[in-house]
Amino acid sequence: MADDPQIVEGQRVLGVVPGLPAVGTQKVPERQKLVFTWPNLTVRHAVAALAVILLVLVISLVFNAPLKEIANPAVTPNPEKAPWYFVGLQELLALLHPMIAGVLLPGLLVGGLMILPYIDRNPSRKSKCRKVAIWLFSLFLGAWIVATIIGFAFRGADWGWVWPWIEWHGEL
Amino acid sequence: MKPSLMERVKETTVGRSIWRVPARDTPREKAEAHWSNFFLHLYPVKMPQKEIEFRYTWYLGVISLTLFGSLVVSGIYLMFFYVPSPTTAYGNIQFLQTQVPFGQFMRNVHRWSAHLMVLAVMAHMAKVFYKGAYKKPREFNWVVGVVLLLLTFFLSFTGYLLPWDQLAYWAITVGTSLAAWVPFIGDQVSQLLLGGNQVSSATLLRFYVLHVALLPTVLVFGIVIHLWRWRKDSTLDSGGELDG
Repeated sequence: MADDPQIVEGQRVLGVVPGLPAVGTQKVPERQKLVFTWPNLTVRHAVAALAVILLVLVISLVFNAPLKEIANPAVTPNPEKAPWYFVGLQELLALLHPMIAGVLLPGLLVGGLMILPYIDRNPSRKSKCRKVAIWLFSLFLGAWIVATIIGFAFRGADWGWVWPWIEWHGEL
Repeated sequence: MKPSLMERVKETTVGRSIWRVPARDTPREKAEAHWSNFFLHLYPVKMPQKEIEFRYTWYLGVISLTLFGSLVVSGIYLMFFYVPSPTTAYGNIQFLQTQVPFGQFMRNVHRWSAHLMVLAVMAHMAKVFYKGAYKKPREFNWVVGVVLLLLTFFLSFTGYLLPWDQLAYWAITVGTSLAAWVPFIGDQVSQLLLGGNQVSSATLLRFYVLHVALLPTVLVFGIVIHLWRWRKDSTLDSGGELDG
């Protein structure tokens, strides 16, 4: 029951109307607490940026970027590997027909990612209400990570299986 | 309290012309100062408390942007010592690593920042997915983000060839051979990328121009749109329910 109508000095209540408000019964979301981005967010961003720069500087002091012999079209290394973010694709090519692994799957993946917000019309952002979307996405992401790790570390000469702690063929 | 030196500088005629809003005491002044600052105009004035905390984004967007900044700085340094030709490229890198002050270090920074940026951008995308942050009204910003991810891949890929060593040459040979599987126009795509039938001096020049001019320009343009849309949507209530 709503509060009793307030009697304000100089005014009088003409009547009380029972029933629902004319705008409907939709729940108005509780107003989220807003804070100034300066300095609350800018400070956090500055700390994140400094941490990243520190990480890059330390890695760069410890590890040198690789440089092999000069390019020689006559000498093909074995295995031939694409850069690490494409070895997942290369691994798929070794397993499946090139038409499927090289064209259909990557095309569907990129296309699917592009139109994802227009397929997934579920308005909820709570993870317990988006089980299908989360499972599907995790499945693809997981498969891609596994394919990348296998292609990067577990493949040797002639794309044969190797154990990375015995033979190392990953290059960054 | 006695005003600090900075406060007194801001009160001068020159100071006022630069900062425009000298004091930042009341909420109104804070908002005004925010709008009159070029760097802060990338940020909305206010955001929900929940969305600025570490666990909400892991700051992966700003981490990607920082790595891109690191790549621009180190990349410009490298450009001073590099000529994109098979006869010079490899020697330039050797010279850079042994003779140029901070040459090896700058090359390391560029290489590791590039790998980290690919990782960070992918992680950013996954985090946005799991938070459901691509939903209304941010659908199109997700699409812009996917384009930025592809540009990041392509930037990294074109840069990979430039040292002109065995690693670069054969990784690009394998990578571009994937393009040949595209139906109907596969050969044309691969010809367009390579400037011939195999990785050659034409490929090196093409990849160089893409890497230092075309792709960074497009990427910056895309980032600007991405951030602008992010700011516009940041204070809006999406209307959807959020995870606690």
